[in-house]
Amino acid sequence: MRQSLDGDQRAYTVLLQETSRLLRPFLAKRLSFTNEVDDLLQEILISIHKARHTYDGNRPYRPWMYAIARFRLQDYLRAHYADQLHHADDLSEMEEYLHDPVTESAISYEYISGEVEKLPGKQATILRLMHQEGYTAKEVAEKLGMKESAVKVAAHRAYKILRRKLAR
Amino acid sequence: MGNIDELIAKLAQDNATVKPAPHPYKLSLVWMGWATAYLAVSLLFSGLRPDMAAKFHEPWFVAEIVALVCIFVATSLSASLLSFPDIHQLRRVAFAPVITFALFVLVILLAWRADNPPAPLPVHSFQCTMGITMLSLLPAAWMFYVMRKFASTHYHLAGCCALLFAFSIGAIWLRLYEVNDSIVHVIQWHYLPMIAFGIIGLWLGKVMLKW
Repeated sequence: MRQSLDGDQRAYTVLLQETSRLLRPFLAKRLSFTNEVDDLLQEILISIHKARHTYDGNRPYRPWMYAIARFRLQDYLRAHYADQLHHADDLSEMEEYLHDPVTESAISYEYISGEVEKLPGKQATILRLMHQEGYTAKEVAEKLGMKESAVKVAAHRAYKILRRKLAR
Repeated sequence: MGNIDELIAKLAQDNATVKPAPHPYKLSLVWMGWATAYLAVSLLFSGLRPDMAAKFHEPWFVAEIVALVCIFVATSLSASLLSFPDIHQLRRVAFAPVITFALFVLVILLAWRADNPPAPLPVHSFQCTMGITMLSLLPAAWMFYVMRKFASTHYHLAGCCALLFAFSIGAIWLRLYEVNDSIVHVIQWHYLPMIAFGIIGLWLGKVMLKW
């Protein structure tokens, strides 16, 4: 890092690569999707770049780097959960759908695949697995490390969005 | 993965020689130096209270001023440390204001107990809060301006310390300028508003120091 602060671009590249290698498992342990990890990792690297003048060469690098990573992770999770709460549906409304088969559909997947890809990452993955690859909600839940009910709720929300879009 | 490599290459390309931020202790000393100069100029314009020499023979008045100066030093130190992402790995020092505030509260409570019979309340009231606020606005704005150049990961606490530091300047100034012996008035119109502004600083820190 000291060399990087002196403007050594090669040292800086190595440092950022090493930082990214350290942070990837740190983030993967706390986030469920690879695209989330990648997005946040990029954000952290930019933050490290922006704050590099606050690093003092006489102190160890890792606590400084992890402080920024934790800060960005908390920010991300706060925004993520706030967004989820904002879009949260009424639980009683959900309950009636939890017992429905979510893999049966009257419309073929190919017909709506373009719209599915435009859905938020998690919802798109769930619909793709269920309708393109033919997994059941239980299998998707196991694959993604989620609860079956959470998969059903996410699928239901995705259907709601798709229904709205296709009705236009 | 490809995106990350691209980003790293881009950031590395953008990397020029960077001037490292000063050590927080040095930063804090600079802040205290400017604040002391500002306080001295303010007192030069407003004048010292006429009974100043006599007041400095009263132990509780001296203790109160010392406690205020401790808050001034501790909040400056803490604000400078909290401006760094990892608190410059001096977490314990950053929480020094907690101890100084405990000391301050103790001194004020003892001074209140010793105020027997109680000194008469002055005729004015909120004007003191207004005076402290007006005097503290400039250092507060300046503190936030400087702190925005760093990268605080504890922006709530950093904002709180910045405002407490600025308002401690105002509180010291008024105590050295205003002829007033009522500790009840001082608590009500000097110190409680100062603490209230510290709480506002928690919110202001989020607004001003987020990066």
